[in-house]
Amino acid sequence: MEKGGHGGKSAAVPAPHLQPPPQPRKERRPSMFEKEAYAQILRERLRESFHDVQYVEPPFDDSIADLGKEWKSALAKLKFANSYRMEPLKKFQAHSVETKVQQILKESLKDVQYDDKVFSHLSLELADRILSAVKEFGYHRYKFIIKVLFIQKTGQAINVASRWIWDVAWDSWVAAKHETETYVALALVFALYCE
Amino acid sequence: MEEYHRHCDEVGFNVDEAHNIVKECIDGVLGGEDYNQNNINQWTASIVEQSLTHLVKLGKAYKYIVTCAVVQRSAYGFHTASSCFWDTTSDGTCTVRWENRTMNCIVNVFAIAIVL
Repeated sequence: MEKGGHGGKSAAVPAPHLQPPPQPRKERRPSMFEKEAYAQILRERLRESFHDVQYVEPPFDDSIADLGKEWKSALAKLKFANSYRMEPLKKFQAHSVETKVQQILKESLKDVQYDDKVFSHLSLELADRILSAVKEFGYHRYKFIIKVLFIQKTGQAINVASRWIWDVAWDSWVAAKHETETYVALALVFALYCE
Repeated sequence: MEEYHRHCDEVGFNVDEAHNIVKECIDGVLGGEDYNQNNINQWTASIVEQSLTHLVKLGKAYKYIVTCAVVQRSAYGFHTASSCFWDTTSDGTCTVRWENRTMNCIVNVFAIAIVL
């Protein structure tokens, strides 16, 4: 059972997914605030479309979330000393990261055929591997987001778009693609400077 | 010299707000439409741009990254994974999956806190 700071830090997003209160026994029109009722009402309105909201990290114990929040709210009152640094020591170089990510994709996906079960954990493994490789570059005070997509080629079309709001001077992104006969692998790396 | 105190009651990224915003944007753009090769570029661009403008209107000190993948609906396999290196207490992510008869849409929002 994890306790203390470690548990708080390694946990996922501190927004606990609260369970909705149990449905009252008597029949009444479901209130908009209950999760299933909301989905049902929405489903009636948009008959042909389905909604599904998923968080990337699975929901976890409330206790861990509270721990993270307490720690953070205590920290908020702290003031950080001024580092007098106007810019990152080492600016994110997109081209060198791109060659490295391309190389990783090529190595790990050489002669790999499309397979449902293998790919679901291969994608996670690849994302972690790319993350550690990017961290090795040694860009200090940078936060990274890695996205890996595998799309099976069956004649359908796919369109991927991204937009962002960040500091144009220091933040950047890299995309690498690996294509085979049966599938396409796309890796996106976003680097954001944490001031 | 005055000090800027951030009026912030909640800590961390508010996932529910973000997913409501994104859901509304997708419904507005793709609701009732069928997959159309000519419009798909426009749709993905407008979904992402609208979600971004609404997220910014929340007025929180966050950097946002919104990605959207729209796929024509057929028998295909699709895997996506993401790995992030950030401050777990202040930063967060939200994924919204939406589908209709002819297409599937996955929108991912990443929010990174700006430390003022």
